[in-house]
Amino acid sequence: MLLTIRKQLKSHPALIPLFFFIGGGAAMSLMYLARLGLRNPDVSWDRKNNPEPWNKLSPNHQYKFFTVNMDYSKLKKDRPDF
Amino acid sequence: MAHPSQLGFQDAASPVMEELLHFHDHTLMIVFLISTLVLYIIVAMVTTKLTNKFILDSQEIEIIWTLLPAMILILIALPSLRILYLMDEINDPHLTIKAMGHQWYWSYEYTDYEDLGFDSYMVPTQDLTPGQFRLLETDHRMVIPVDSPIRVLVSADDVLHSWAVPSLGIKMDAVPGRLNQTAFITSRPGVFYGQCSEICGANHSFMPIVVEAVPLEHFENWSSLMLEDA
Repeated sequence: MLLTIRKQLKSHPALIPLFFFIGGGAAMSLMYLARLGLRNPDVSWDRKNNPEPWNKLSPNHQYKFFTVNMDYSKLKKDRPDF
Repeated sequence: MAHPSQLGFQDAASPVMEELLHFHDHTLMIVFLISTLVLYIIVAMVTTKLTNKFILDSQEIEIIWTLLPAMILILIALPSLRILYLMDEINDPHLTIKAMGHQWYWSYEYTDYEDLGFDSYMVPTQDLTPGQFRLLETDHRMVIPVDSPIRVLVSADDVLHSWAVPSLGIKMDAVPGRLNQTAFITSRPGVFYGQCSEICGANHSFMPIVVEAVPLEHFENWSSLMLEDA
């Protein structure tokens, strides 16, 4: 199937940007879902060894994907340890 | 506050609102350019006597009108996502205030150091003094120190409300049984008005929010006075 696609792309090069952007969008959506499933502290896959990951939040860890002005690793930790 | 026949946003009183204003200007300019182009093309197509029935396809123009909109969308998406993450940052607040929505007033609690709490009812129209704004003034304002990061925890006592102050760029739903957090910093002293933004019954339009940003000494004097009165 890939060979057919390559052959048709040669005669219709306008489809190349289409593949690029749609493919990029699909890849970004899949990466978002993967990050949500694997990194979100609200998600627990292994109920026996990791039952409540939302209770193990660290004060200096950056949970968001991107920060503009904050450096969470530099936050002072002024709360009691459990 | 909003003024009659206002078209745009209110003047920004916080850095986040300034960012939102600039982003809005940027995006609106793109929208105007595209709309003007489309309108021009429509008029040109409709008013020409030239016809050509034999062009079937053209790879070059297809590439251009795929790439160009994609670039424009990326140009809009990147600042948008940046502001989205900026608004969510936790910025080490100096003060935490709880804003509770009731039917049909707000109550504010400043419980960091002492137990200060008060209700904020709208001033009825017949009780307004000259110079006050109709449906916007309250008997007690939420006073905060200027230039300090403030955290507001918003919740409600009965039904859904929403705590909104447009010039600070804030709107946060007040849900009974839930604590929502928002934070802001005022860049200039002043009085900033907002109105309840979630339908909550008969007097939903009559429970405004007034935030007054003052220098720290004035805030300290005000809070001592309020504590004595309580």
